[in-house]
Amino acid sequence: MNLSADEILAEILPPERLVGVTRFADERGTSNIVGRVPPSVFRFQKADMERLVALAPDLVVVSEYTDADFLKLVEHSGMRWHRMEGLSSIGGVRQAIADLGRAVGAEEAARRLVERYDATLADLARRLSGARPPRVLYWSGEMTAGGDTSIGALIECAGARNVGREMGVSGVTPPGAERAFVADPDVILVSSWPGIAEAVTGHPLLSRLRAVREGRVVVMPNELLIALSQYTADACWDLASRLHPDRVPARRP
Amino acid sequence: MTEAGRRRLVLLSLLAALPLAMAAAVALGSVRLPLRSVVASLVSAAGLPLLGPPLDAPGAAILWSVRLPRVLLAALVGGGLAVVGSTLQSVFRNPMADSGLLGVGAGAAFGAVLAVRLGWAAHVFLALPLAAFAGAMAAIVLVYVLAHAGGRPSLQGLLLTGIAVSALASAGTSVLLVATEEFRVKTVLFWLAGGLEGRSWTHVQLAALFILAGVALLALLSRPLDVLSLGQDEAASLGLAVHATRLTVFALSALVAGAATAVAGSVPFVGLMAPHALRPRVGPLARHLIPASFLGGAVLVVLADLAARTFSDRLDLPLGSFTAFVGAPYFLLALRASEGRT
Repeated sequence: MNLSADEILAEILPPERLVGVTRFADERGTSNIVGRVPPSVFRFQKADMERLVALAPDLVVVSEYTDADFLKLVEHSGMRWHRMEGLSSIGGVRQAIADLGRAVGAEEAARRLVERYDATLADLARRLSGARPPRVLYWSGEMTAGGDTSIGALIECAGARNVGREMGVSGVTPPGAERAFVADPDVILVSSWPGIAEAVTGHPLLSRLRAVREGRVVVMPNELLIALSQYTADACWDLASRLHPDRVPARRP
Repeated sequence: MTEAGRRRLVLLSLLAALPLAMAAAVALGSVRLPLRSVVASLVSAAGLPLLGPPLDAPGAAILWSVRLPRVLLAALVGGGLAVVGSTLQSVFRNPMADSGLLGVGAGAAFGAVLAVRLGWAAHVFLALPLAAFAGAMAAIVLVYVLAHAGGRPSLQGLLLTGIAVSALASAGTSVLLVATEEFRVKTVLFWLAGGLEGRSWTHVQLAALFILAGVALLALLSRPLDVLSLGQDEAASLGLAVHATRLTVFALSALVAGAATAVAGSVPFVGLMAPHALRPRVGPLARHLIPASFLGGAVLVVLADLAARTFSDRLDLPLGSFTAFVGAPYFLLALRASEGRT
């Protein structure tokens, strides 16, 4: 019942073991597995309890934010559930993949996925060793990301300093354009969703940022920016290749 | 002190308070600008010799790009909403009335969310405030048409129609929000919560055009408004064209409140608080209450916006929540006081 689980399960389980995924799995710009889940697998448009009961899965994978009332209903309906947690850090995602693998009885596939994940990150760390970290500010609809967020972790994993952390931001919150302006980041990171970059370049104050004037607005594919699965490692690589093109090629060899 | 003397004192105090509040709001914020340098920069921009050290480049960018337009917009929005509140309180003969009764806020929210849902807000400059303005206008036209469907309505009929249209628009907004992609919802969230972040000189020009013209025209209607506040039958017996006057007042109120809501989102309780607090001090006559309300509302929103920007070191809070934090207890106290009198 969440995209992170969809992306991991699509990798570690054979399709016939997958009973349902969220509608987001097919959404371009949101999902990294568009076209990979067979049409026979049910698409949940919302947390639909009746449909869930009708499908009778062995396990329901829920997100960190699924409310307790819904989980109680799942239990009352005789189903087990597994919650994806700790996805706001690189290590947390690694642990979540391993935990999910155990929960669905696919430990070996999950272990191989974690190995790939770690190999990508290790290769990236080696290439970025000694590189000067640019100061990156994430911006989306007046919000920026603090050090305790997945996007903050992504920025740091890609060999940069998160300006949101420097500003003392916690979570994803609106710090105000004036604070962002005075922070004077080297790079602005935005998602590829329509209007997000334009909101920065068209903002009366942010458009005057040194990073914007000098063309250092990094537009990252949204599906990678929001990935909380094995694709988090690919997201780190993608962002690093944009921030350090001299050290990190666009595609991992 | 005589009544006229007290009135003059209140108006002069408000006249002094507004520039003081604006000066504080321009100098203070998430980034503090030295007031002396702010004044020097403003004076220098007016072509006069420098009075002191001007602002450094980042300070000047903040002042001219966002801080000054924001403070001016706060004053315009607060002044406009307060004048609409004072006017509608006279027309409805209810000291608790404000533009929400005409469906303006709910209509504007529907327009804004529609613009976001259809993607206009992301691609067309000013699409969101213009759609909000259109929504506000559509709501008030709907209120008027529906209320007059069965003949000329009573004030109570108008009021209830306004409530029904507001509920309708709010329901439409909810449906649109549910059907809108999450990343687009975030765009409109800040607008719905009320705020002036990222507003530019274009927003000031847009709002000033409608708000100042509307407020000036409402001020010109001061005498008919006073007659109207006596009641429908009394006004008619004194020769006032009641329905034509009411229609004009509603249209101008919608214009002002629609423009204010379009650029600032929902800023609740300003239209209620400012005129309600000032009426006992300057009297009920519109020619005194309208300018006092404009100044009082302007001071209120300028200070509320300053508080929203400076409340936390780490994040800006929505302006609408600050006016509600002050307005809701005020409303309850006013309600209690009025019940105590009856």
